[in-house]
Amino acid sequence: MPARESLSGPGAPGNARMLHLTGIRKSYRIGPVETEVLRGVDFQAGAGDFVSIMGPSGSGKTTLMNIIGLLDRPTSGTYFLNGQDVSRMRDDRLSHMRNRHIGFVFQSFQLLPQLTALENICLPLVYRGARRPEMKRRAQAILERVGMNHRAGHRPDQLSGGQKQRIAIARALAGDPAVLLADEPTGALDTDTAADIMELLVETNRSHGVTILIITHDPAVARGCIRQVRIRDGRISESHSRNPPCGAVEGEGPVVETGAQARAAVQGAGGPNRGKWPE
Amino acid sequence: MARIASIVRANAREAVESLRKARLRTLLGLVGVMIGISSVIAMISLGEIAKAQARKEFEALGTDIMVLRKSHDQGSPGHPAGVLEWSHVERLSAEVDSIRLAAPRILGHGSFRYQGRKVGNESIQGVTETFARINQLSAASGRFISDLDVGRFFCVVGSGIAARMREAGAGTAVGELLEVNEHVFTVVGVLDFHQESYALPFQLMANESVFVPMSTAERVLASPEIDVVVTRFDTDAGHDAATDEVQAYLHGKDPGLDVDAVSARQLIAQMESQMRIFTLLLAAVGSISLVVGGIGIMNIMLVSVVERRREIGLRRAIGARRRDIQGQFLVESAILTTAGGLLGVLLGLLATYAICRFIGWEFSISMFSVMSGIATATFMGLLFGFQPARQAAKLNPIEALAGD
Ligand SMILES: Nc1ncnc2c1ncn2[C@@H]1O[C@H](COP(=O)(O)OP(=O)(O)O)[C@@H](O)[C@H]1O
Ligand SMILES: [Mg+2]
Repeated sequence: MPARESLSGPGAPGNARMLHLTGIRKSYRIGPVETEVLRGVDFQAGAGDFVSIMGPSGSGKTTLMNIIGLLDRPTSGTYFLNGQDVSRMRDDRLSHMRNRHIGFVFQSFQLLPQLTALENICLPLVYRGARRPEMKRRAQAILERVGMNHRAGHRPDQLSGGQKQRIAIARALAGDPAVLLADEPTGALDTDTAADIMELLVETNRSHGVTILIITHDPAVARGCIRQVRIRDGRISESHSRNPPCGAVEGEGPVVETGAQARAAVQGAGGPNRGKWPE
Repeated sequence: MARIASIVRANAREAVESLRKARLRTLLGLVGVMIGISSVIAMISLGEIAKAQARKEFEALGTDIMVLRKSHDQGSPGHPAGVLEWSHVERLSAEVDSIRLAAPRILGHGSFRYQGRKVGNESIQGVTETFARINQLSAASGRFISDLDVGRFFCVVGSGIAARMREAGAGTAVGELLEVNEHVFTVVGVLDFHQESYALPFQLMANESVFVPMSTAERVLASPEIDVVVTRFDTDAGHDAATDEVQAYLHGKDPGLDVDAVSARQLIAQMESQMRIFTLLLAAVGSISLVVGGIGIMNIMLVSVVERRREIGLRRAIGARRRDIQGQFLVESAILTTAGGLLGVLLGLLATYAICRFIGWEFSISMFSVMSGIATATFMGLLFGFQPARQAAKLNPIEALAGD
């Protein structure tokens, strides 16, 4: 591995099988009881895909996301990320893969309280060995992209929930990842702010071709996505797709939806039903 | 390399920041290390200063000095202990080849009055003319005791007594009458201030003493025994030969008389062994507090790891390898102990300065001690930070991210 690599990620456009998981199983053993959370998940996503993952609480959404995000290993099954078999990679190599290919967005933001917004955004680049001025320049550009350049020097406790999530998204994008994984990114936000964040994610997907997976309980958020999958009983099913899944029609890009349309979708659902999605 | 440098640079700033936030813990850690390091600094500095001091004192005293005293362990039933008298040592330098100069003294206690006012209450010392030369006493005014003063009631006073006489209106004090234990002496000289030498095995106390002729002391003191004979010996002949010769000579005078002879070389050795005990004591205090401080640091870092689980999880998620996390906590621990070490160096130097002032040694800063103090502190950070850093690195990122 060269000591210094370019900041841009490998997000080769048109790569249909950015994520390719087959027969993924995951079981936890607590004492003598072994519970299988994932029971053979097959899932594929191409470059530029925009997928929502829904499912009852405890159905294994986060578990699947952790596996896709290389934070966890499946009990069995194969997983190719950007054409590379990651099942047998050593821990250091997985860290490197996360740093290069994956951006995380969490429900609870996970910003480091002692760092400014700009410094938080720089973090993934720190682990790439980027030079400070280079890092700052890049972080500044992304800060602008998420509309937060006026908050560069603020610390997280000086920001609102929506602003924090924007910074978190900026941090996830700083390393120019091919895949952005968001586990209930709007779960801690009010409807309007959720719509703003969703709009930002759609915009990111549309204009930068980043593959985005969103875990959500909010059907409105799911509606803003191009593909919608559900997890139930440890398996995955494609419940709805405004575009055939990538695996089906290879090489064809996803239908592009504008951020404004996504916003309209989310806000339209922001009525009394919101948050009452059956679990 | 660039990657590691970049991470360390970023981490160092964050480390300072996160240490600043955990104020009380940081403070406790700093104090522990500080005390440990300051003992180390004081230990090394005092050792070096004492050595320099000893060298200086012996250069001043001369390496040919040898002090004779009556042995403590003598006198057994049927064998009366000998008495060291003036008549025994009167002709020592003349009759013993290896002894070049000999200055015996009789030590007694006295209280001194000038015109009815008390001006001192210390020692009367019966001496000969050579005593001043051998002990480097110099007259501020007047003269020292001369061998021509035999039996006369002449005296030379130390600077402290002279000062008090002046306060009582005595002018230079020379020529004045001084009452010494009911006897009246004429002051013939006043000594300069004399810095007591710690290298000698007896106390001179020149500033608070009244020196009188040996023969006069024999008359006015109740038990006029000689307590020490300060000599200059022939170093070419060697210490042992000189001692044997002196011993044989004195046995000839009084078979029951045994003397101990201590030369400069032995005095240096004695002083060094005293220094070693002192150094050992400081080393014990230093290492105990270093260990205590180190365990404190380890605790602080362990708590820090627990408190910052989420941060660790996040860093792992965005691409930090285990060793990056380990490095981060090691850097933080090292920064903490190095800062404590710097404060410890200051405190240690301050303590050294205070001790030097108290003893009257010349203070100097030992660069070696400063360097080793700081290096020890940094090393402690790495040593005691290792286990916590490893624990941080071993955290499962998913569990860490989930937080408490
Ligand atoms: N580390 C673990 N040990 C044991 N069981 C776990 C662990 N992580 C998750 N589970 C279990 O796996 C199931 C799925 O969890 P999760 O993926 O977090 O669900 P979701 O995100 O869909 O709510 C739950 O029943 C949970 O209790
Ligand atoms: Mg979950």
